[in-house]
Amino acid sequence: MDKRHPSSFQQLEKLGEGTYATVFKGRNGQTGQFVALKEIHLDSEEGTPSTAIREISLMKELKHENIVSLYDVIHTENKLMLVFEYMDKDLKKYMDSYTSPATVAGTSPRGALDAVTIKSFMWQLMRGIAFCHDNRVLHRDLKPQNLLINTQGQLKLADFGLARAFGIPVNTFSNEVVTLWYRAPDVLLGSRTYNTSIDIWSAGCIMAEMFTGRPLFPGTTNEDQLLKIFRLMGTPSERSWPLISSFPEYKTNWPVCPTRELRAFLPQIDHMGLQLLAQMLQMRPEMRCSAQTALQHPWFAEHNARHAQQQQGPGGYAAAQGMQQGTGGQQQGQQQRAF
Amino acid sequence: MAVITELSHLANPLASSTQLETSNSQLDGVPRDLETSIRYETARLLQAAGILLRLPQELVAQSIVILYRFWVGPDGGSLVDHDSTDVAAASLYLAAKPSAHAVSPSQTLQVFHYLNQTRPDYAGAAKQDVPPEDIDWHLSEGDLETARNRLYKVESTMLRVLGFQTHVALPYGLCINYLQTLDVSSSTAGSAVAKRAFAHLNTALFSPQLLYLTFQPSALATAAIYLAARETGAGLPETEWWEVFDVDREDLGFLVVALTSVEGFATEEKQRWGQRKVPLSVEELQAEMERRTMLENGQ
Ligand SMILES: Nc1ncnc2c1ncn2[C@@H]1O[C@H](COP(=O)(O)OP(=O)(O)OP(=O)(O)O)[C@@H](O)[C@H]1O
Ligand SMILES: [Mg+2]
Repeated sequence: MDKRHPSSFQQLEKLGEGTYATVFKGRNGQTGQFVALKEIHLDSEEGTPSTAIREISLMKELKHENIVSLYDVIHTENKLMLVFEYMDKDLKKYMDSYTSPATVAGTSPRGALDAVTIKSFMWQLMRGIAFCHDNRVLHRDLKPQNLLINTQGQLKLADFGLARAFGIPVNTFSNEVVTLWYRAPDVLLGSRTYNTSIDIWSAGCIMAEMFTGRPLFPGTTNEDQLLKIFRLMGTPSERSWPLISSFPEYKTNWPVCPTRELRAFLPQIDHMGLQLLAQMLQMRPEMRCSAQTALQHPWFAEHNARHAQQQQGPGGYAAAQGMQQGTGGQQQGQQQRAF
Repeated sequence: MAVITELSHLANPLASSTQLETSNSQLDGVPRDLETSIRYETARLLQAAGILLRLPQELVAQSIVILYRFWVGPDGGSLVDHDSTDVAAASLYLAAKPSAHAVSPSQTLQVFHYLNQTRPDYAGAAKQDVPPEDIDWHLSEGDLETARNRLYKVESTMLRVLGFQTHVALPYGLCINYLQTLDVSSSTAGSAVAKRAFAHLNTALFSPQLLYLTFQPSALATAAIYLAARETGAGLPETEWWEVFDVDREDLGFLVVALTSVEGFATEEKQRWGQRKVPLSVEELQAEMERRTMLENGQ
């Protein structure tokens, strides 16, 4: 068992505060390496919080360069602390503090990222999601605050507190998931049989937001969220979405909005990017592309080609990745026991 | 035949040979056979609780595997330190909590309290199929409070020992996949095979050989299908089809023998204990160990 005391990490400034945890920057006393310390609030209502059990048990299995690494779990009588690899900031803060050359020139709104960065982030985001889905894990809470960026421009998925492994069949999940703005219409409509497609919708919303600097559908309530989506995507009907009337939240008095061109809202996106976005932002879950399909889209051709090359080359990116993961020897700090 | 890839992600951490060789309980002086009896009895208790609480079998299976993971190995939990009823309750509570079928602490505790009183015939109690809300529970508010705190404590200990490895890859879904791949699921005979195969997978949970800790889900699913097809006379390919699922003949053979011997093991256990209670608390365990020592010393 791990006998390491929490004090072997020096606690530095607060990085963020969530609903179930406070995250601090920390420094490993032995190696000097920076880490993120996620301190779980323990209350006496349910014992160890289910969010923590989910997050830790899943993070232990999900090892990927686009998923934030869990180095260690410090578990004492009255404290539960997760030690993560340190990332510079989350995507929300990154966008808030970003000024692109285009913004300076007045051709792009504030908060918007430049096209090259967006494509790189989207490629990494989709790789992270694809890895989760291949491992039969839904993230369920993708939003800019839960995507972390480091100084090397790497993007990693974080906050798996709501994530859940899915089996066959996938059903009866609670529908209280995913922050409203990034929530898929089928979930908003009360579907309890959702699957990997909910993460794809969130990714589409995030892609649009990176281009405009503003959330695509900033709804205030479940109903308002749906209407904001309809205003852009068109109000669905039995004809455009068979069986839609059987959803619990279906209403007969929805205002009828026509389907509008995505292009009109997102003049910044190039033709191919828009094509991919349209495949992700499909109203009907079964029409949304998978993460693997998205990665195969020609919009990512360059990234895929470069990646394939680096995988072959001896001293390339892959080798550098390996080195990075090996630093600090933290991985060894985890329990020797498989269970 | 479609080969299902990505299986590595559906794998379980298996028990190491050191873990299988000896357990903390044995190091604390609990005879191996007694440990086996207790483990089996606790798994039965868990299964009965799962039925009473109307939980899906996957969740019950996960709880039983978590329970086994906790007891195994020299650095696992010891029967001398924890009541196995407590560990069983915590396993179930822990497995259910992050799932879509969370059970409240008091529901969990009440059901285990009830079953504990009906020992050794709680299997019968579970079969009566009384709705949980209609059972006369007898656990007072004060007792409940104490029990709840103990539950959280055991849960926390378990998580520490398990290193939070509570995720369990189960063979049920794979089993369906394999049957479809083998093209036997569609026919009427196919559904009989599927039923038998699932029964074998459930039986495997009770094997004293800890099959879920020593074999991957793919091997368990394959062996269950092999046996089920043999029993129902359903036709499977003439070829060595199990190799498609990455299972070799040796493992398959071992598992088939192991699966078919669980029934004999269960009968033996029943005869051995009769109406005597298998010790499921530290106190009962100590009494049983003293009794054995006295018998050995000729009173
Ligand atoms: N590894 C990290 N490196 C740097 N900053 C981090 C790291 N992990 C988290 N943060 C910061 O802390 C914030 C909260 O973290 P996280 O989302 O994991 O907590 P949470 O309690 O689960 O939040 P939520 O309210 O979304 O459930 C993040 O949005 C991010 O700004
Ligand atoms: Mg968060």
